[in-house]
Amino acid sequence: MAATRTKPSAREIFTTLEYGPVPESHACALAWLDTQDRHLGHYVNGKWLKPEHRNSVPCQDPITGERLAICLQAQAEDVVAAVEAAGTAFENWSGLPGASRAQHLLRLAKMIQKHQRLLWTLESLVTGRAVREVRDGDVPLAQQLLQYHAVQAYTQEEVLAGWEPMGVIGLILSPTFSFLEMMWRICPALAVGCTVVVLVPPASPTPLLLAQLAGELGSFPGILNVISGPASLGPVLASQPGVQKVTFCGAIEEGRALRRTLAGKGAELGLALGAESLLMLTEAADVDSAVEGVVDAAWSDRSAGGLRLLIQESVWDETMRRLQERMARLRGGRGLDGAVDMGARGAAAHDLAQRYVREARSQGAQVFQAGAVPSDSPFFPPTLVSDLPPASPCTQAEVPWPVVVASPFRTAKEALAVANGTPRGASASVWSERLGQALELGYGLRVGTVWINAHGLRNAEVPTGGCKESGSSWSGGPDGLYEYLRPSGTPARLSYFSENLNYGTFGLAVPSTLPAGPEIGPSWVGQSPGARATLLWALATALERREAALTSRLERHGTELKDAKVEVELSARQLRAWGARAQAQGHVLQVAGLKGPVLRLREPLGVLAIVCPDEWPLLAFVSLLAAALAHGNTVVLVPSGACPIPALELCQDMAALLPAGLVNVVTGDRDHLTRCLALHQDVQALWYFGSAQGSQFVEWASAGNLKPVWVNRGCPWAWDQEAKGAGRELGLRAARTKALWLPMGD
Amino acid sequence: MPSVLAEPSLLPAFSKALDLSWISKMQVNQPAVLRRAQQIQARRTVKKEWQAAWLLKAVTFIDLTTLSGDDTSSNIQRLCYKAKYPIREDLLKTLNMHDKGLTTAAVCVYPARVCDAVRALKAAGCTIPVASVATGFPAGQTHLKTRLEEIRLAVEDGATEIDVVINRTLVLTGQWEALYDEIRQFRKACGEAHLKTILATGELGSLTNVYKASMIAMMAGSDFIKTSTGKETVNATFPVAIVMLRAIRDFFWKTGNKVGFKPAGGIRSAKDSLAWLSLVKEELGDEWLTPDLFRIGASTLLSDIERQVCNNPLSWDKLTSVFLRKKRKIPYWAMRTREKTSSDLPHCTQTSAFIQANPHLKWADWTRERECA
Repeated sequence: MAATRTKPSAREIFTTLEYGPVPESHACALAWLDTQDRHLGHYVNGKWLKPEHRNSVPCQDPITGERLAICLQAQAEDVVAAVEAAGTAFENWSGLPGASRAQHLLRLAKMIQKHQRLLWTLESLVTGRAVREVRDGDVPLAQQLLQYHAVQAYTQEEVLAGWEPMGVIGLILSPTFSFLEMMWRICPALAVGCTVVVLVPPASPTPLLLAQLAGELGSFPGILNVISGPASLGPVLASQPGVQKVTFCGAIEEGRALRRTLAGKGAELGLALGAESLLMLTEAADVDSAVEGVVDAAWSDRSAGGLRLLIQESVWDETMRRLQERMARLRGGRGLDGAVDMGARGAAAHDLAQRYVREARSQGAQVFQAGAVPSDSPFFPPTLVSDLPPASPCTQAEVPWPVVVASPFRTAKEALAVANGTPRGASASVWSERLGQALELGYGLRVGTVWINAHGLRNAEVPTGGCKESGSSWSGGPDGLYEYLRPSGTPARLSYFSENLNYGTFGLAVPSTLPAGPEIGPSWVGQSPGARATLLWALATALERREAALTSRLERHGTELKDAKVEVELSARQLRAWGARAQAQGHVLQVAGLKGPVLRLREPLGVLAIVCPDEWPLLAFVSLLAAALAHGNTVVLVPSGACPIPALELCQDMAALLPAGLVNVVTGDRDHLTRCLALHQDVQALWYFGSAQGSQFVEWASAGNLKPVWVNRGCPWAWDQEAKGAGRELGLRAARTKALWLPMGD
Repeated sequence: MPSVLAEPSLLPAFSKALDLSWISKMQVNQPAVLRRAQQIQARRTVKKEWQAAWLLKAVTFIDLTTLSGDDTSSNIQRLCYKAKYPIREDLLKTLNMHDKGLTTAAVCVYPARVCDAVRALKAAGCTIPVASVATGFPAGQTHLKTRLEEIRLAVEDGATEIDVVINRTLVLTGQWEALYDEIRQFRKACGEAHLKTILATGELGSLTNVYKASMIAMMAGSDFIKTSTGKETVNATFPVAIVMLRAIRDFFWKTGNKVGFKPAGGIRSAKDSLAWLSLVKEELGDEWLTPDLFRIGASTLLSDIERQVCNNPLSWDKLTSVFLRKKRKIPYWAMRTREKTSSDLPHCTQTSAFIQANPHLKWADWTRERECA
């Protein structure tokens, strides 16, 4: 580093024309730490909480190793205190009119603006990230998030009528995620009226500072509580009574473990996992701009993860040359230097990258490293890995920061197959100057966010999330709000955990009667919503034709004649209602700072398995089926165990009307079928309406491919009520969102 | 439309080096280039010694320009003197740069003033080249014959660098071969003189056209490609520069020939000039940072650079303001420029000082205190 050398004179620099250090003063960060006597606790209920007799860990500058402060580690009691504070605050906060909450969020945004310098120097000092990225990216975005969600809070009564805040939200952050990830999640939660307890990893002062800023606004001290402690406290926080939802941001394996631990516990779990991204570079791309896209994605301290780079074979050589040339110009160094591209991320990130690169090399990959980066740990140079054999473990493993793994493809179709073949699905970008091709790829990618000819753009108005192993928790935009809302009148979630449930043997009492996976036909994604609507309406007509037969079937099952008639009538109505709703999906967002639209698409989940409830054997079956079909899913249904006949009768019509393989109805032992479906890798989502034990098993087993699941926790539903049978919740869960960014200009 | 094809006798006799396949597929993505342009300005800054050295280096890249209707021999003379002595001697001494023979790269005038400039520079006893604009500057809408004659006359008068404007009509109508042929003839007319081709990018319609025109100009043998005349409504901008620099690199990779780059028009502040330097350094590398391959066309830039060199702590440290620093006890690192006083220092210094002075106050009070202040 330049600082360790003797300072060159202007005369020397005149010849070499090198860059010099541009140190950003971090005096204000130190001054803030001094106000806490360099001794940080937790921020709970608007006060610093510094309990005695706790373990502590040092908070270090990741580059110099200088000890900046001592951070207390929370224990279970501290978590309890925080949840209690949040619970008390929730009563006031959720009762406020949206306009007042909006006011409060705006005041917080002002507060952040006032202390922005402190915020960015502290964040850069502690995490080692390049200060430029924090200053020009994160801090303005944090303010923008607050402003956007203030508007959402203001219009809540009108736009989100019929929904109510969930309650106390637990948010668990892992070390690689910055304070911005916390802002993405607390803003919608606070806006809709929830209160939050955030568990941050030890030695992360920025979230504590934010909590202090929020606390100093005075009025509602307990709405944002931050405690720092080890990851093992996650389940403790999640299983506190009163915590209604837990959002976890972290590594995939940790998320999986948490999913298993929390099966049957009270809180709903939202997962946002991994940080890998993908970039697809076609021969029709502006290659130089795409190379800048790679820099944005992996080598600019913007994202926490690495990049998978797919390059069309015809431009492979050209792209590699440009990439290597560009890499040589990257500058690494102390994050607080205003002219570096990459800072450092601490020893853990360095070791992770080191391990990956070593393994890739041993598996036969070419590794190229360049850039003006200090050679000692924790700095890691920008790294380009190519020629990985397709079958080697590294091609499947998540790519860590700051590594880019390049592999060639021949055709756009092949690229799509390769990209969708990875288990992760957070974000991707497509680089092509051919509009048709770009859109084809953008629509075809199974990820949460797609940028066309850009990478890494973010905006508060655009929902951000993922699918597959990246978890299905969303933040930002309307989707972020629904994460923390539930239909009005839903009872609070309580734990229904059963100690006795043996996951290994659940559903195995009956010998297998079913082949490992049901026959699944192609989905009808290609069909226009109009065509779907027509088919659903035709199905409704067919159902009405069978009215007499269905009524008598239901009657034989023990339903009163009057109720049976209502059920059949309602079923036909549901089919029509969902058919009509198939038309209106997705919309266009106009985003500040971006020329061009962002499309919010609603795409089918893929293969959706539904285990129908015993109650309302026809209506529940039809409601669930109609919602799933309206959104374009391929469905595997297990009808009511007690009375499957009406559902099966409807199947005869479906066989005649719908494409083969679209709807698959399987009957048999429900527990056994549930087990098969929940553990199935090719089932992309599962709705379970049955016993409490079954629900718990489904939640546990969904950790396998991290499919989103929806369980009724053993509680019966009133399917004849509008809010349940045809409610927005059903529609929300029947499709996944994709944000497609389309920057424009010539 | 006056096209070169209408005058077959003027077509060049020598062999062609035109390869349209180099430009046919090229598509530039404008929003992506705009983003890059935005980033590049925020990603690199230089301070203190580095700033001073970079600013002085920028001086050596300047084509000191006057292109107005009221130019006379007297202001040309002043311009030439300024080109010879661009920075105050005492400032150079404090930076230990006085013996480097710092001059601007060239002076740039209208053809009719070339004689004046050559005479003035000879009188000053220096070898700074004289550049002349030509070929119907700035619109280029005159007959090819007169445009070529203009070049020849300027060269006769002693100009060693000729800044020609291209015929925008040919670009906008996609007549790349005709454009190539025209520039080829300019090249021939220049003889030994350097040819700088002005693309007038503000009038080319799209970044893709900028790339293509750059490539054609280089294939036709330009020594430099230049962004604009300074007379269009849109002049030297970063997005355009990025596209041109990428074209220069592509041409270098294809042929091994290094072509120079000259942004011109609208570059007025010292800060801008630093950004241009780092742009070239980032996109092309250090080997392009020489007056042979990089020029900045500017008229008022130099005075701002001189002012900023003067403002640099290195200079005023030794000149006038030493006592200022001592008196106010401001730590050295906190003083960025001479204008800054304690009241507009970054608030961190105030805060730490404030906290030290008032240990009994809580942080909240301290914040409030600061707001009041």
